[in-house]
Amino acid sequence: MDDLLNEFLTETAESIDVVDVELVKLEQDPNNKEVLDNIFRLVHTIKGTCGFLGLPRLESVAHASENVLGKFRDGELSVTPSAVTVVLESLDRIKEILSGLEATEQEPEGDDGPLIGKLDQIAEGGEPEAAAKPASEPDLEIVPTLGRALKPGEVALDELERAFMEAPGPDDDVAANDDGQAVSAGNESAGGRLYERAGGDDTIAVMAHLLAKRLPRHAKLGSFFEGIDDNLRQAKFSGLLTSLFKDDENAANNVMASIISVPGFGHEEFDLFAAEAKAVFEEVRLANDVRDDAAMCLELIRDAALEGSRKNAPSQKETKAAAGAANEDAARGGSVEKRTSQSIRVSVDLLEDLMNMVSELVLTRNQLLQMVREKEDNEFTVPIQRLSQTTTELQEGVMKTRMQPIGNAWAKLPRIVRDLAVDLDKKIELDMRGAETELDRQVLELIKDPLTHMVRNSADHGIETPAERVAMGKPDHGTIVLNAFHEGGHIIIEIRDDGRGIAANKIRKKALEKGLATDAELDDMSEAQIQKFVFHAGFSTAAAVTSVSGRGVGMDVVRTNIEKIGGTIDMTSVEGKGTTFQIKIPLTLAIVSALIVEASSERFAIPQISVLELVRAADGSDHKIERIKDTPVLRLRNRLLPLVYLNKILGFDSSEGKGEDAASDDFIIVSQVGAFTFGIVVDQVFDTEEIVVKPVAPILKDLSIYSGNTILGDGSVIMILDPNGIAENASSSVAGENNAVEEKTMVENLTINDESESLLLFRAGENSRKAVPLPLVARLEDIEVDKIEMSDGRHVVQYRGALMPIVLADGLTGLRTEGRQAVLVFTDGDYTMGLAVDEILDIVEDHAEIKIVSGKPGMIGSAIIGEKATEVIDVAYYLAQAFDDWLKSRDQNTDVAPTRGTRVLLIDDSAFFRNMLKPLLKVAGYSLVCVDHAQAALDLREEGETFDLIISDIDMPGMDGFELAHILKKDGRWADTPLVALSSFSSPKHLERGRAAGFNDYIAKFDRKALLESLSQQIKLHDDAA
Amino acid sequence: MASSLGHEFVTMRLEGQLLGIPVLAVQDVLSAQKITSIPLAPGWVAGVLNLRGRIVTAINMRERMGFGPRANGGKDMSIVVEFHGEPYSLQIDRVGDVLNLENETMEKNPVTMDQRWREVSRGIYRLDGELLAILDVERVLGSAEGAVAA
Repeated sequence: MDDLLNEFLTETAESIDVVDVELVKLEQDPNNKEVLDNIFRLVHTIKGTCGFLGLPRLESVAHASENVLGKFRDGELSVTPSAVTVVLESLDRIKEILSGLEATEQEPEGDDGPLIGKLDQIAEGGEPEAAAKPASEPDLEIVPTLGRALKPGEVALDELERAFMEAPGPDDDVAANDDGQAVSAGNESAGGRLYERAGGDDTIAVMAHLLAKRLPRHAKLGSFFEGIDDNLRQAKFSGLLTSLFKDDENAANNVMASIISVPGFGHEEFDLFAAEAKAVFEEVRLANDVRDDAAMCLELIRDAALEGSRKNAPSQKETKAAAGAANEDAARGGSVEKRTSQSIRVSVDLLEDLMNMVSELVLTRNQLLQMVREKEDNEFTVPIQRLSQTTTELQEGVMKTRMQPIGNAWAKLPRIVRDLAVDLDKKIELDMRGAETELDRQVLELIKDPLTHMVRNSADHGIETPAERVAMGKPDHGTIVLNAFHEGGHIIIEIRDDGRGIAANKIRKKALEKGLATDAELDDMSEAQIQKFVFHAGFSTAAAVTSVSGRGVGMDVVRTNIEKIGGTIDMTSVEGKGTTFQIKIPLTLAIVSALIVEASSERFAIPQISVLELVRAADGSDHKIERIKDTPVLRLRNRLLPLVYLNKILGFDSSEGKGEDAASDDFIIVSQVGAFTFGIVVDQVFDTEEIVVKPVAPILKDLSIYSGNTILGDGSVIMILDPNGIAENASSSVAGENNAVEEKTMVENLTINDESESLLLFRAGENSRKAVPLPLVARLEDIEVDKIEMSDGRHVVQYRGALMPIVLADGLTGLRTEGRQAVLVFTDGDYTMGLAVDEILDIVEDHAEIKIVSGKPGMIGSAIIGEKATEVIDVAYYLAQAFDDWLKSRDQNTDVAPTRGTRVLLIDDSAFFRNMLKPLLKVAGYSLVCVDHAQAALDLREEGETFDLIISDIDMPGMDGFELAHILKKDGRWADTPLVALSSFSSPKHLERGRAAGFNDYIAKFDRKALLESLSQQIKLHDDAA
Repeated sequence: MASSLGHEFVTMRLEGQLLGIPVLAVQDVLSAQKITSIPLAPGWVAGVLNLRGRIVTAINMRERMGFGPRANGGKDMSIVVEFHGEPYSLQIDRVGDVLNLENETMEKNPVTMDQRWREVSRGIYRLDGELLAILDVERVLGSAEGAVAA
């Protein structure tokens, strides 16, 4: 493509984007002169440049919108949404033509008449008959912008003249500032114009001829006019007079400036010129009044003439004069933003190439370093170190060139939101924060569409109409907040709206319709879980397909796109309050730090970012791989982590074949996928390396276990593992293995959702399946029966240097007589006990919903777990059995506060937790009232109940814990009651949020000790304060 | 591109069959290389290798065509081609001469041709005493791509 055209396209596209944004700003702040000037300048530049390149369609459209903008600027028209809409429409047309240009290098066919008519109509203040046509006439083949594109003799005189009659040249913004009479091009309705009165084309042609002939021969003025070719001069005068008489001052100024291209043309010279012109007017027998008017017109161009002269370099002769004027004009119109140019435009391809080369260089450098390292003390060491240093700096530099502010991806959003607001008759404010946050260009490109889609979604489905909003007691204009910031090597982007939120019941209905879930499954889900169905493939939330959304792109595509670049997306939505999406994406895709590991003598890389910690499990070390039935687990700081063997996942197997002994010296990479943590067992761990991630060949793209491949320092190729994929693939890799069932369990473990609990299943007594929440179990032991002794009528065993009492699980008739006895170890403070069971069955992830509450001691109730009835045991009961003083110790532990009779309100939607905590709190001396949803708690408040302390779950259907806390703390009788949050999530972030909402403390579920401590502490604090 | 003179083809042998690839499509001819295998990848994907800083995916053509491993052992040769912008190295038994053949003499795959060859052959040339099947890289890798997805 023509370089010039190419440059024009890039520049214009940028300008248009800016205008888009600025116009929306203008609409909100119609009196902002600065914004208006900026828009005007940009549109003007576009128009000017199209004229220069001979693009009539573009120019006529740009011109018409410039007219309107000019009137805005001069205050002749007020900025109204409808006018802005039409101007935006014209920008869209310009974009359309531009894209046609880009594709074919030709202006596409099309009729801009109606659009220009509309624009002109607005320019005329909305009078329909003023809608002018000429600007869109098809014969506007060439609209020369005098003094710019022209070279002597290039354009035929008549054509030039005609063009001038029909369309004014581009405005000169300097002059337009003084008195911007941006007159509609073909305003033919004004019958009494000077142009007609003077006699039209014919007279002007004569006058131009006379002036052109006489002036160069003029004693004093000659030198100013002789530099130009005769024909051209005549054309210019013709253009000058035409535009003058047609009141198009801008065009006249332009032409005048180009005529007077020699320095030294001052006021005196202009007076002489005016006199000469008046003489000519007389000569052609203009009527007196016409003559006077014409003479006055001349005054209008005085400044332009002087300016034209002043600005031209002294050396100009002949054609250079015209060219110089062209440059000058371009300089004024073209480089609108007067920033000193410290930057240059570089093609993206070049940058990509550079990046690739730097990547190669990094790899080669690594290779060299390795070679040098092997041979100590050789002459290459120093130069290679220098090379290494330089390479690193180069790499950083090139990476920087790829960084772009995220605002670039947002540039189009104000326009989109604005258009939507107008279309949908809503009031929407877009608040963009952190636009300067930089991220890799590649990531930026990939994130652009999902972001746009989500903002569009928020505006379309999220924000309600003003009437609805007011009815709900919200301000009539909705707000969409876009927020971007850095957080630990990631970029977080939040899209938040204060709209209607996502209606869980609607989603539920839809999920059912689409067969994504069954009724029963849905019953078990929390509102948040149901809401997350919007991320499911084939799910579109739009109740009705509007022109805005319903394009077949749903949130599932957004999710896929974000996950493709290693990002995650999360959503929280409160019905009636709004929705927040949070996207977490890596800063760059190109170079990452990775841990090199080995499995079956093959090396693999795991991105550092997904490695939480590294644990060595060996005999005699603190950590050791335990087995629950056949499922390997790792106990790490009192948490049981499910494990996957990389060997097995990758199909090398040897897997369990290695047995428990061989597996005893393994490295475990603790990794996190979503909220779930698990361990990957590998044979060996090497060092970390900076690697350049290269995508795998497309034919392998379905192997989700790899996120890419790379070349290591030693030149070998290595595959990069994707922990997400590992979690997903855990089952398929061992198809046909005898432990398929167990793998299924593993997958269930890995695809854990936040509402289900890990449960340890065991058998005690004939056909009696029992379960205990896994987090309560401290350890699993197989104890040799011989070692179990009797003491004081009780079974004890020496365990870790102390005596541990063993209690028989209910249903167990006695300990085994020989071999080993399976024991669950529970620990509470200083108390450790063993629960003897017949057999440990399995670990499952399930919703432990207690169906039948049991009155039997030692049992909380029965639940359906793994489709079988299972008794859930009460650990507290057994602890009390094992230690007579355990209950007492509870009292002692909590004696910091008078806990007896302390009234505690527990709000938790899960019957399991309510049943779990009830005995626990009761034995601790609290008197407990349980409710299963937030509203019930509020009802209690209304009824006048009082409590010493409130414990609330966070994730609850309907009103969640945060909201409840907010309401409670705001006012009412419970405002001072200590409030403790109980949640399965206990990251610092959640903690922060909890505190912000008004919780006095934030406790992880299952952490009984912390809960009890917190309770007594809170009560004490409260009492002290009271 | 096709000239009036015809095409030049790099010939190679796989399980006795003579195959040809347009010479301009061939980026490299490699002897046996150090290949990193890719666990879980389809059997005909031999692995990935480093070719002067580029990662090339190696395709085991014997597997791809459904032949067993080579009876007499011997070292594999590879021909590197580009497909959808990505380099692939096709492992074959042996690389032969470059032949210049007239466009006009190219014929459609005969119906009697082995189904396996027919699937990946764009057409054949009759040479002295044997057929040269022109390998269609698109079909070798394209259908393979489909196979993985399936």
